[in-house]
Amino acid sequence: MTEPVTDKEFKAVVLDSDIPVLVDFWAPWCGPCRMVAPVVDEIAQQYDGKVKVVKLNTDENPAVASQYGIRSIPTLMIFKGGQRVDMVVGAVPKTTLASTLEKYL
Amino acid sequence: MTSTNDQPQNGTKTLEAMKSFSETYAKRTDTYFCVDPSVTAVVIEGLARHKDELGSPLCPCRHYEDKEAEVKAAYWNCPCVPMRERKECHCMLFITPDNDFAGDQQDITMDELIKARESLS
Repeated sequence: MTEPVTDKEFKAVVLDSDIPVLVDFWAPWCGPCRMVAPVVDEIAQQYDGKVKVVKLNTDENPAVASQYGIRSIPTLMIFKGGQRVDMVVGAVPKTTLASTLEKYL
Repeated sequence: MTSTNDQPQNGTKTLEAMKSFSETYAKRTDTYFCVDPSVTAVVIEGLARHKDELGSPLCPCRHYEDKEAEVKAAYWNCPCVPMRERKECHCMLFITPDNDFAGDQQDITMDELIKARESLS
């Protein structure tokens, strides 16, 4: 299962990570977020040890969501070396997400 | 229609209103609900919550800096401007038939909606 991350933990878990991080920005009442969640879980398994995968509830953690200009949900963002390097918006197929991630490994 | 604050979240009146709106609007625009009815149910519940909390069914698939200001701006009140102008619903409530995720339904049961509400409360 993909670990949740909060506003408070974001710097330590995401920005200070030694490996690239995929962050799933989601909200409880967002339909497509439910569709993308299992895809994100599969990616977490497939890239175990190479990519850290976490999810952030934007309702409960508005500070980080606002800081990175999240509008449409779900948004999947990739961080490397403390910087946002890419993002994918909406419920995308696993292949799209995997090929985006591959660029940063 | 005016909403009052004496309707708690566990009431189903707003949920029924949003169900009825969604079904009517899908038929009117020739769009369909998602093949996975739990997706549809979650979005309708999200709309009902915003309607109860804010007075308008603000899109539940967006992050807002200020929900009250967004309600006044009206752009993302369902049906939002992109849906009305181009049939674009990124929340996947109203899906055009050419989309792989489109099912063949324009109706949803109250049971499905209650199930989604209970799964997330």
